[in-house]
Amino acid sequence: MGPRIEMRGIHKVYPDGTVALRGVDFRLGPGEIVGLLGENGAGKTTLMKILSGLLQPTRGEIRIDGRPVRFRNPADALRAGIGMVHQIFTLVPPYTALENIILGQEGSNLWLVKDRARDQVQRLLEEVGLSIPLDTPMELLPIGVQQRVEIAKVLYRGTQTLILDEPTSALTPLEVDELFRFLRRLKEGGRSIVFITHKLREVLEISDRIVVLRNGRVTGEISTREATPELLAEWMVGRAVVPRVSRSPHPPGEPVLIVRDLEVIGDLGLPAVKGVSFEVRAGEIFGIAGVEGNGQSELAQALGGLRPIHRGEILLDGKPLPALTPIEAYRRGIAHIPEDRLRFGMALNFEVAENSILSRQWEPTFLRGWGRLDWPRILAFTAALLQRFQVIAPGVRAPARSLSGGNQQKLVVGRELAKEPRLILAVHPTRGLDVASTAYIRELLVQMRDAGKAVLLISADLDEVLELSDRIAVMYEGKFLGVGPVEAFTREEIGLMMGGIVPQGRAV
Amino acid sequence: MRRARPLLESLVAVGIGLIAGGALMLPFRYHPLKAYQALFQGAFGTPHDVMETLAFATPLMLTAVTFAVGVRAGLFNIGAEGQMYIGAIGAVFAASLLPLPPGLHILVATLVAMICGALWSLVPALLKIWRGVHEVISTIMFNWIAFHLATYLAIYYLAEPGRAERTRPALPTARYPILAEGSTLTAVIFVAILFCLAVYFLLWGTRMGYEMRLVGENPEAARYAGVQIGQALLWSFLIGGMAAGLAGASQIIGRPPAWSLYATLGNVATLGFDGIGVALVGRNHPLGGILAAILFGALQHGGRFMEYHAGVVSELVRAVNGLIVITLAIPELWTLVRRRLTL
Repeated sequence: MGPRIEMRGIHKVYPDGTVALRGVDFRLGPGEIVGLLGENGAGKTTLMKILSGLLQPTRGEIRIDGRPVRFRNPADALRAGIGMVHQIFTLVPPYTALENIILGQEGSNLWLVKDRARDQVQRLLEEVGLSIPLDTPMELLPIGVQQRVEIAKVLYRGTQTLILDEPTSALTPLEVDELFRFLRRLKEGGRSIVFITHKLREVLEISDRIVVLRNGRVTGEISTREATPELLAEWMVGRAVVPRVSRSPHPPGEPVLIVRDLEVIGDLGLPAVKGVSFEVRAGEIFGIAGVEGNGQSELAQALGGLRPIHRGEILLDGKPLPALTPIEAYRRGIAHIPEDRLRFGMALNFEVAENSILSRQWEPTFLRGWGRLDWPRILAFTAALLQRFQVIAPGVRAPARSLSGGNQQKLVVGRELAKEPRLILAVHPTRGLDVASTAYIRELLVQMRDAGKAVLLISADLDEVLELSDRIAVMYEGKFLGVGPVEAFTREEIGLMMGGIVPQGRAV
Repeated sequence: MRRARPLLESLVAVGIGLIAGGALMLPFRYHPLKAYQALFQGAFGTPHDVMETLAFATPLMLTAVTFAVGVRAGLFNIGAEGQMYIGAIGAVFAASLLPLPPGLHILVATLVAMICGALWSLVPALLKIWRGVHEVISTIMFNWIAFHLATYLAIYYLAEPGRAERTRPALPTARYPILAEGSTLTAVIFVAILFCLAVYFLLWGTRMGYEMRLVGENPEAARYAGVQIGQALLWSFLIGGMAAGLAGASQIIGRPPAWSLYATLGNVATLGFDGIGVALVGRNHPLGGILAAILFGALQHGGRFMEYHAGVVSELVRAVNGLIVITLAIPELWTLVRRRLTL
C-alpha cells in the first residue's frame, strides 16, 4: 500500500526572510503513527502547519493518495481529512464540551442542533474510546480533558489524519498514558497520526516510524524498532564542533547566585520549575540548555522578580532574597535581559531615550523634584549608552520602532549591562538576530564574565550555550538532568538530556 | 519634524473632510464655498464669534483629556459623560448653597466638581483593577447611573424654588468672570487650558506619566520595569474624572446666562461623548485636544451661520459637520484599531 500522504521538497520562507524548511520530504501511511522529532526552530510545527492548511509552502507539493492537492486554508485540509491539534488550545472556556466540539459546524444555531449533534458526538466518542463529560463548561475541566475535547473537535470533522503538536507538554504522566492508549486505538481504527515532540522517550514509545528535523532539513528517518536514543539525539542536535569563544582563563570566584530547591508555578497553575538547585559564580557563565517550554522562562521570571517563588530559596551574595519585585531584583544587582524584547524588554512606540531608562524610570538619577523626569540627563545617558554599545539609531528621540532588530536588542542588552549588576540574567539574548549583532552580544557577555560578573545564560540555541558557557545544565520538564563543566558532556549526551533521557553512567 | 507629522495628517484630514462635506452639499444644490465661508465667518468673523467658538470649545477640550489620558494608559474610558454630570451637580451644590467669600468660592466650587468627577470614576477604576471588569461596560453603566442621579438631585434637592426646570443658579461669588460684555466666554477657559497643559506635562515630563504611557504601550514591559500597573490605571481614571468634573463645572459656574444645571441636563448632555471625537481628532494628545476642541466649537457655533447665511438646512449642516469629524478621527481611529489587531 502506498502512503496516504506525501509531501515532497517542501520549502518555507517566512515573509521576514526566515527560512524554516529547506526541502523536506515526508510521508505518512494509513494506520501509522509517525513521530516528528526536533529542537526548537527545527521546522516541525511549520511542516505540519503546511500539511494542515494553515501555512502555504513556498515551494514543494503535497499529494494525498497520489493526487496533488493545494490547501488554501485549514478548512480545505479538513475536507481532505487532515486536522491538527495545536499546542495552544482553541476552546471557548464558558462553553460546554459538547458546544465546543460542534462549534463552527452547527449551521445557523448552536442550540437548535445540539441535541441532534449529541448523539453523533456520543457515537464518535464511544468509537474512539474517549470519555468526556459533555455538559461541563470547559473552564472547569482539567487540562488533560480539555485536550481530549480538542482532539474530539478535530475528529468530529471526519479527520482521518490527526496531527498533534507537543501534546504531552501540559499533561501529567497518568494523562500521558491515557493519551497513548487512545492514540493506539485510533491507529487500530485505521487513522494516521503525526506526533510532534522533542521528548525521546515518548516518541520511542508511541510511534512506528521517526522523522528527525534539524534546521529545516530531515536529518534522519528510521523505523522505531531500530531506533536508539543515542542515534536520535545525534540527529536532533548534530555533531558539529562549536568553536569556543576566547576567554581569559581564570578560576571562578565566590558564588554570586545560589538557588536551592526552587519551585515555580507556571501559567497553567502547575509547577513549571520543579525543584532546581544551582549556583552561579563570579566570573563564570552558567548556561542552561534545553528545548523551550521546559521551565526556563519561569525560572528566569522568578529570578527577575516577575513571578513568585512557590518553594525553595534564592541567595544573592550569600543573603537570602525576599519576595522579589523587578525593582528589588535590580536594586540587589540582578540585570535581566528578557526572553522577548518586544514583549517584555521595550515599548516600540517609545523613544530610544525612553526605552533606555525602562526599568530605571524610578531611579533618583533620572528624576528631579516632584517626580519629574530629568530629560537633559536622560538624553545624555542615552547618547552615551548608544555609543558604548554600538547601537545605531537615527537619534535619541527617534521611536524605538525605527531601529533594526539587532540594534533594538543591543539597546536592551546595553541598558541592562549599564546597570553595573552583580548577576546578569540573559535569556535567549541573540534570538532572531543577524550574525554581526549576535557575535557582538556574545562577546559582551564574555567580557562581563571576564570582568568578574556572574552570568546566567538561558538559551534554546545549543550552540550558543556550548560556545559561551563555563558550566552548563540541561533543563527538562522543570528539572535539571545534568549539571557540570561544559567539557564534561558530549554533544550527543546533551542531546539525549534535552530529549529527557539521562545518559548511562550519569547521575544528577 | 517628527512631532509635526500628526498635526500635518490632521490638517490633511481637515481638507479631505471639507471636500467630502462639500460633495455632500452639491446634490442638494447648495454652494459649498458660500456655505463654508458662512461657517468660517460665523465661527471666527468677529471677536465676539471667536469668543463664542472658544466658549463651546472649553468643556470639549476637558472631556477630550478624559478620553486621551485613558487611551494613553491603554484604557477605553468613555465615562466622561457621567463624570461630567456628577461634576456639574457638585458645582451646583458648592456654588449655589455654600456661602463663601468671592475668590475662594470659585476655587471651592471648581475643586468640588473635580473631586466629584474623580470619585465617579473611582468605582469603574477599582472594578477594572481588582476584578478586570472592562471599563467600556462599567463606564457606560455609570454614565446612566450618573444621568438619573443628577436628574434626581437637580429636581428634588437643588431645584430653584418656583422654577423647577433648572437648579438654583450659582451665587455671584462663585461665577467665573465674563471676558467681554455680551459674551458667554468666561475665565474658566484659562483653567481648562491650564489643566490640559498640566496633563501634557504630567504624561511626558514625569515618572508617573511615563509609567502610565508604558502601561498603555506594553503592559508586560511595564511589569518588567517594575510599574505598579493598578496604580497607573487608577491615576489615569482619576485624572480623567477630574477633567470631566471640571468640564461639568465649566457649564455651571463658567457659562452664562443660565449659571445653573437644567433639570433635563440639557446644557451639559453629550459634552462627554463629544470629547471622544475631539480626543480622536486631537490624536489623544492634551494639546492636540485644545486645537480639536476649537475646531469643534467652530463647527458648532459657525454651523448656525451656514444655516441662515447660506441657507443650508440644519440637518445637512449637522451631516456635513459629522462628515468632517469622521474624516478627522480616521487617522487616530486607525492607529487604535491597528493596535488592537496586532496585539
